[in-house]
Amino acid sequence: MKILIIEDEIELQESIQKYLEYQGFVCESVNDFVKGANKVQQYEYDCVVVDINLPNGSGLDIVKMLKEIESKSGIIIISARNALEDKLAGLELGSDDYLTKPFHLSELNARIHAIIRRRNFKGSKIISFNEIKLNPEGHAVTVEGRGVDLTEKEYQLLEYFIANRGRVLTKAAIASHVWGDEYEQVSQYDFIYTHIKNLRKKIMEAGAGDYIKTVHGVGYRFTEN
Amino acid sequence: MRLLTKTTLYFLLAMIPLLGLTGYLLFEQFNKQINQRADKELLYEEVQWVEYLQASTLNGSRFLLQTPEILIYPSDKSVIEYPELSTVYVNKPNSKIQIPTRQLNDVVNINGTAYEIIIRKSQEQKLALVENIIIIMLLVFAGLLLATIIFNWIISRRLWKPFQTSLQKIRNIELPQMSKIRFEETDTKEFDELNASLNTMVNKIHSDYVNMKEFTEDAAHEMQTPLAVAQTKMELLLQDANLTNAQTETIVQATTALQRLSKLNQSLLLLAKIENQQYEADTSIDLVQVTKKYLQLFDEITSDKQIKVVTQFDDAFEVKLHPFLADSLISNLLGNAIKYNSTNGKIEIEVSKLHYCISNTSEHPSIDPQKLFKRFTAAGSRDTSTGLGLAIVKRIADTHQLTVSYTFKKEMHKFCLNKNQ
Repeated sequence: MKILIIEDEIELQESIQKYLEYQGFVCESVNDFVKGANKVQQYEYDCVVVDINLPNGSGLDIVKMLKEIESKSGIIIISARNALEDKLAGLELGSDDYLTKPFHLSELNARIHAIIRRRNFKGSKIISFNEIKLNPEGHAVTVEGRGVDLTEKEYQLLEYFIANRGRVLTKAAIASHVWGDEYEQVSQYDFIYTHIKNLRKKIMEAGAGDYIKTVHGVGYRFTEN
Repeated sequence: MRLLTKTTLYFLLAMIPLLGLTGYLLFEQFNKQINQRADKELLYEEVQWVEYLQASTLNGSRFLLQTPEILIYPSDKSVIEYPELSTVYVNKPNSKIQIPTRQLNDVVNINGTAYEIIIRKSQEQKLALVENIIIIMLLVFAGLLLATIIFNWIISRRLWKPFQTSLQKIRNIELPQMSKIRFEETDTKEFDELNASLNTMVNKIHSDYVNMKEFTEDAAHEMQTPLAVAQTKMELLLQDANLTNAQTETIVQATTALQRLSKLNQSLLLLAKIENQQYEADTSIDLVQVTKKYLQLFDEITSDKQIKVVTQFDDAFEVKLHPFLADSLISNLLGNAIKYNSTNGKIEIEVSKLHYCISNTSEHPSIDPQKLFKRFTAAGSRDTSTGLGLAIVKRIADTHQLTVSYTFKKEMHKFCLNKNQ
């Protein structure tokens, strides 16, 4: 799956590319408006990650451009602007999502996965990881064909883990993905332990491997080995 | 004191000596005229008496006349060339009132004998003169007073109208709408100057305001990008399989600090935006509904900490507030009540029409209310606390006709939002 990253901050662009490539995406990066505009007109991408403030133009115009050429790509805006008006402007123009800087790379990755899956009208929407299969419609989970009864939060955790397979995920990143930024207010992530413990127990009881590994002092990693 | 009252007073104060002087001059003038007339009459009378004397003493007889008004008698005084005219005061009979009297005193030679002639003329009308002049002066003063008051009333209604208009405009001024305000030209030079200066000032303030607004947003914006770079680099670094436990923990600590910095930045930006009145509210919002939303949202953590939440919603607590600020207000208050609560603790929320109170148990002792709402006075240094939460709560309350209060009673920290009457 091909991703275009339009971000003028080279360091940030590199981080995003590195993380996404590890998750199996093919990435192209450009650092200004003109190059970005040329790319989106010449090639078809599965998802375009675009910053608003770019040299020589606004990322919002690239969103407009994509809509004008009726591109099938998903669009995700990344911006340092947190104002509600900016978010609404971006979403009204047809962007699929809006992420405020600074963000967790795991969060960006999970959102790109979600956007691509939503836009993939013909293909299968099933997310799979070895014997575990997730159907985003109805949030049903099966292990080797047997249904597993998960709570909503447990489902979200599993989906997030699979999208970020192999990566070390901090508790803060997990909490903000599943419970939202509001939880930063409370600044305690102890409660996520219970949810992860239950999720791990349920999928293991259904016959799946022990994929959720605790990373001491940091958080968790979803991995085969 | 109103400017007009002041000018009127000064005007009247200046009028008093002026009127006094006028009165004195008038008195002098009248006095002189009365004396002149009396003198004429006295001289005429003397001439008659001298003629009469000359005729009646031809036969060598001596003449003597003594009445209160006329005194004629032979005298050994030497003859004087001109009669002496003076004013004397004579007691009124059976009274202490002294009556000004014009007196003619002359010594004339009549058929070889020197006669002293004293003729007096009462000038009782002079007594009334001072009185009359004072009355007239007082009447003039009263007339002036009345006239100035009436004129001032008309002036303040007409002449000062452009001033009042400008004043009204200044009173209703609001920072975000400042650019729309114009002080019109008038037909008075002073007001034109004032309005022109006001226009310049308003433009200056508005451009400063816009600059500051842009600066705060840009500053926050510029800071978020390097923060994003640092945070993503840390996240990538964390993926390195060769890291030791100690190294990973260090990275996580750095990441936490970065997240705190970013939150701090956003909170400061929010404070600046509230202070700049960038969140205008056009509809009322019920904080009870917002509270219910957040109780549900924080449900996980309250049950995890085994906090008992007791709510008593007697009435809706309606406030004209931007929904974003309402969220910020409640999430800060409720977030604090959870964050600083002890395990197995308790949260009580009581809401009536005019009061919204939230109390919580805590291991923290009572806090000094003076310091509480200041920036950066976090209780203990929690990893992700910004110390700005209550400052934001206070700022929101202050800008929306609410008062926020803190009390510590029965081992409970209690925060209340009270509607200003």
